[in-house]
Amino acid sequence: MRLLLSSLFLKSPFEGLQRHADKVKECAHMFKKAAVCHMGQDCKQFDILTEQVSKLESEADAMKRNIRNHLPKGILMPVDKFQFLEYLREQDKVLDEVEEALFWLSFRPKGIPDEVATDFHRLIEAVLPPIERLSDLVALARDYFRQKSEAQRERIKDLIREIRQYEHDADHLERELKFKVFDHIQDSLLAFHLIMLVEHVGHITDHAENAADRMRAMIAR
Amino acid sequence: MNIDIIVLSTATLIGLYMAANIGANDLANAMGTAVGSRSLTLKQAVLVSIVANVLGACFAGGHVTNTISKGMIDPRLLVDDPSRLMLGMFAALIAASLWVHLATYFGLPVSTTHAIVGAVVGFGILSVGAGAVSWGKIITIAISWIISPVAGAVISGGIFYLAAKKVMTTRDPHAAAVHYAPALIFFVVLVLILSFIFKGLKNLHLEIGFFPTLLVAIPCAAVVSLFGRKWVRWQVHLKCELRPNPQGFSPVECVFAQLQIFTACYIAFAHGANDVANAIGPLAAIFSVVKTKAVALQVEVPMWMLFIGGIAVGGGLYAFGTRVMETIGKDITEITPLRGFCAQFGAATTILICSRLGLPVSTTHVLVGSVVGIGIMRGMGTLDLRILKNIGVSWIVTLPFTIVLSMVLYKALTVVLL
Repeated sequence: MRLLLSSLFLKSPFEGLQRHADKVKECAHMFKKAAVCHMGQDCKQFDILTEQVSKLESEADAMKRNIRNHLPKGILMPVDKFQFLEYLREQDKVLDEVEEALFWLSFRPKGIPDEVATDFHRLIEAVLPPIERLSDLVALARDYFRQKSEAQRERIKDLIREIRQYEHDADHLERELKFKVFDHIQDSLLAFHLIMLVEHVGHITDHAENAADRMRAMIAR
Repeated sequence: MNIDIIVLSTATLIGLYMAANIGANDLANAMGTAVGSRSLTLKQAVLVSIVANVLGACFAGGHVTNTISKGMIDPRLLVDDPSRLMLGMFAALIAASLWVHLATYFGLPVSTTHAIVGAVVGFGILSVGAGAVSWGKIITIAISWIISPVAGAVISGGIFYLAAKKVMTTRDPHAAAVHYAPALIFFVVLVLILSFIFKGLKNLHLEIGFFPTLLVAIPCAAVVSLFGRKWVRWQVHLKCELRPNPQGFSPVECVFAQLQIFTACYIAFAHGANDVANAIGPLAAIFSVVKTKAVALQVEVPMWMLFIGGIAVGGGLYAFGTRVMETIGKDITEITPLRGFCAQFGAATTILICSRLGLPVSTTHVLVGSVVGIGIMRGMGTLDLRILKNIGVSWIVTLPFTIVLSMVLYKALTVVLL
């Protein structure tokens, strides 16, 4: 016995997107752990944590490719395919930046100078919430595209606003931190390293916000 | 043993098998979402669809087959040789059921009507000659390949658009759904009553004009819809608010889940009307030849035969369809009650309008169009349109396949048995 129209229905691509978002979230937590450990001067676990982040990143990459490859030409989706793929790309870029920031952290094993340590810690803390919200965002969107209820759409919009606010706050911290670096750090090599590091950490939230903006375009009527 | 007995008993088995197949597939597919959303239990779904199907078969099914051999060939040409007609119908029945079975195996929804028409043409070419086959009807079928899905897509897509605009995108979709429930129920009941009268009365030979029918149907639908809001509220409270919904539907989906019971019944009814007759019609022709030893111009399919056909459909649904229903409920969660309702209501409306306009449509083809139409309105999850090519090819292949197979079978049967 067969389901006559079942071959016409494909699995929702949002399922894969959700798994990807969860992976990004997991990776971000690992990043925080690594960064905090690195700041504590005597960090033995840093290499293991970096390796784990790299592993998670490549897993997420495989997921991304899997989602892309299973969106062939002749399919009809509840959202524009290109917007969907752009969202996926931004969500994946969050991970790339996490990895990049971690690399920059590792380039200078002596930790973060005390003058900027507290601010840097605050910046790292500020990076996590928007990434966590991305996973909630995908879960909500998945439900919305199944049921198309206005209430769900409003909740998605609220969440997007929240992510934007997080990015704004992180941006603020990033700028303050840069001021402090130029103020307190005299060693130009150290200053360069810190500025690059802070830039990359800042980019993480930028991409999270970009992803949220793509989602806003997806749910636009 | 007598050839007649062999042919008759084998044909009966095949006819019943074909009917059971309809139950296990078409009916189960129509009811699946209603079971998945828990608006009906499995037992209720089986019971309701058997009743709707038997009603469809008994009251609306007869007219499809009362012209013997579907008007494809003139049976008078076979007056001298009734056993040829009998063997021909036998070959046609086997060819059609083989094709439907094969297509079902590959998950392709094909029209049983087109299969049986092709099969009749096949043995017609050999028995009365290609010149005596009314080829014009084949053109009608070819037209329906285009009209059915396009009309289904347009009408169902339109219904989904309205539902999305008026209900789903409002601030409080549940309140909006309850607000529009009487109107929705009015149109659903109206379409069902009109379909029932137009299709059913043909079989009962009561000729009522279009406007008198409307005069009967509109008040009936209005009366039902008066109770609509209360009924919907009560059902939603009973089925969605008292216990958690298994698929996480919002209360508004619950409203559509209730409405979907009606539209699923209509689909069961339509399958009873068309497809049961397709399975039982050739059987009736064979039966008539065996009984009267003559070729009749018209064979009225006896009511008891249609009834048994309807029961066989129910048996098929009960024996094999329950698993299909459970699978649809669990696995294809993309068919939410709203989508299922729009597709089925759209299909019912399309079939009603097209058959009033005299356009040839097929239930199965219209449903495929409906699903895609809602998909185009971005309301159907993710659809693999590449499958449409296979479905389209299977619709077209239906004719040559059944024609050739029925020719081969007819030739073999006449060589062996005559």
